[in-house]
Amino acid sequence: MVPLAGCTTNSQRTEQLSVSGSTTLLPISEQSGEAFHLKDPQVSVLVSGLGSSAGIEAVSAGTADIGTSSRDLKPEEGPLGLVDTPVAYDGIAVIVSPANGVDNLTMAQLRDIFAGKIHNWSEVGGADRRIDLVNRDEASGTREAFKKIVMKDVPFDPAAAVLPGTGQVRDVVARAPGAIGYISLGFVEPRFTDVRVKALSIDGVTPSKKSVADRTYPIGRTLHFFTKGQPQGAAKRYIEFVLSDAVQKGVVVDAGFIPIAEGGSK
Amino acid sequence: MSQDAPKVTKSLQLVSRSTYVKEWLLQALFFMCAFAFVLAVALIFVFVGWKALPIFTDYGFWKFISGTEWSSSSKVFGILPLIAGTVLVTLGALALGTPLAVGTAVFLSDVASPRVRAFVRPAVELLAGIPSVVYGFFGIIFLRALIAQFSMTLGFGAFTAWIVLAIMIVPTIAALSEDALRSIPEGIREASYAMGATQWQTIYKVVIPAAKIGIIDAIILGMGRAIGETMAVLMVVGNAPVFPKGIFAPLATMTSQIVMDMPYAVGLHRTALFAMAAMLFVFSMLLVASVRLLSRLRD
Repeated sequence: MVPLAGCTTNSQRTEQLSVSGSTTLLPISEQSGEAFHLKDPQVSVLVSGLGSSAGIEAVSAGTADIGTSSRDLKPEEGPLGLVDTPVAYDGIAVIVSPANGVDNLTMAQLRDIFAGKIHNWSEVGGADRRIDLVNRDEASGTREAFKKIVMKDVPFDPAAAVLPGTGQVRDVVARAPGAIGYISLGFVEPRFTDVRVKALSIDGVTPSKKSVADRTYPIGRTLHFFTKGQPQGAAKRYIEFVLSDAVQKGVVVDAGFIPIAEGGSK
Repeated sequence: MSQDAPKVTKSLQLVSRSTYVKEWLLQALFFMCAFAFVLAVALIFVFVGWKALPIFTDYGFWKFISGTEWSSSSKVFGILPLIAGTVLVTLGALALGTPLAVGTAVFLSDVASPRVRAFVRPAVELLAGIPSVVYGFFGIIFLRALIAQFSMTLGFGAFTAWIVLAIMIVPTIAALSEDALRSIPEGIREASYAMGATQWQTIYKVVIPAAKIGIIDAIILGMGRAIGETMAVLMVVGNAPVFPKGIFAPLATMTSQIVMDMPYAVGLHRTALFAMAAMLFVFSMLLVASVRLLSRLRD
């Protein structure tokens, strides 16, 4: 029933739209993809999450129709001819286990922790316990945004555990009392599990949709859809659908992100 | 023998031409099968080597193999920590798995009653057939959480990988070791019993030494599996490309790093991954060569 990707010429009935990239954007792409398929049954949206860099790589190589990314293009990616459509605004929450006594960190402390300069929670007002760093892989847009906003290009401690997905970071941090990690704000509240994590406030500001939208919470970024050239055909209709009020006020808000109209692009 | 050979050819010539052609076609078919396989290996080797070449010319082989930092964002590709990770993970898994596997093999060949063997043997073989991602999943969901609890860490690291890999290589080593043990003629065991040796003395002093080379063979093949294993390792090592600070600290192996970086690697970074693949190729060739050498010693 499902034809192979790219075989659109001999199967006029269903067209496949492949959307690849950021794991942060998975809830938006998947749920809006399903809704789009109901609305437009001739198009089925295939979503995969391999990380933002993989998405950008895939869309420029032509193996995906839309590359999703939770980071901006790097300078060396400029000449690829990608067209950017911002679809939502998002905050990055710094998470620890609920058993951790620390509630607030300054940006400087956070940077020192992830650079491997602070090793013990007692140095930032917590219990005497080693800090276990949980980082994302280098393909991750969340990592790229965190590096830019928090680390200001101070290198990450290379001894940190590197996990390939938002869900894994959340799960590991939730169960390890000494761990610290960072995930998209939309993933902090439990959706498919009852395991909780605690989001730290940064410089005294608690991460929330409101504090991210009005920019008082310092770690925020824009979520993008990239297409090779101007979006056309099914890709164009799908992107228009994602930007419509139905998705922006439905799926985007439900997934814990901020509609692009409210957060604006940065 | 030498007298028989021309006779066979002669009788082949005597049969009908169609049979002769059929024989020739079959011969050609089997040759093609083998040739296609050898060609595939050669092409892969040439492709990987060709893709890896810029590492020698643009980066420097010595810098690549002895560098202590791997950071794709700053274009530094030193694989020494990854080699260290691979060696640590592989040797630990062998140290845990080998006694278990050889013990199982001895049990199956010399101790178990036929009834028990009929039950244990398929279980061991089943273990060999489970896809590695299942072991990885088991490792990350169950083992990691357990180890995180008692070691007060994240649970990622060499120790978790050892246990997962040990379970994976036991069936390989056990099955091959059992073959080696069973190929020892019954007469040798009987002679040992006749000298008044107990069962344990027979196993320890006679059967195992006699099957020594076959068992080492099995261990080397298990080692090959441990070095090449990717999916299960990737899920439990924590993927930090640094010299491991202990057996409960995150580390990376060559295979896990290739998979982590593959989706987005471009330019020199991709080249570095191919060069690492070439290193793994050379490692496995050395292992196969040593197995062949040992087999020759046994004969």
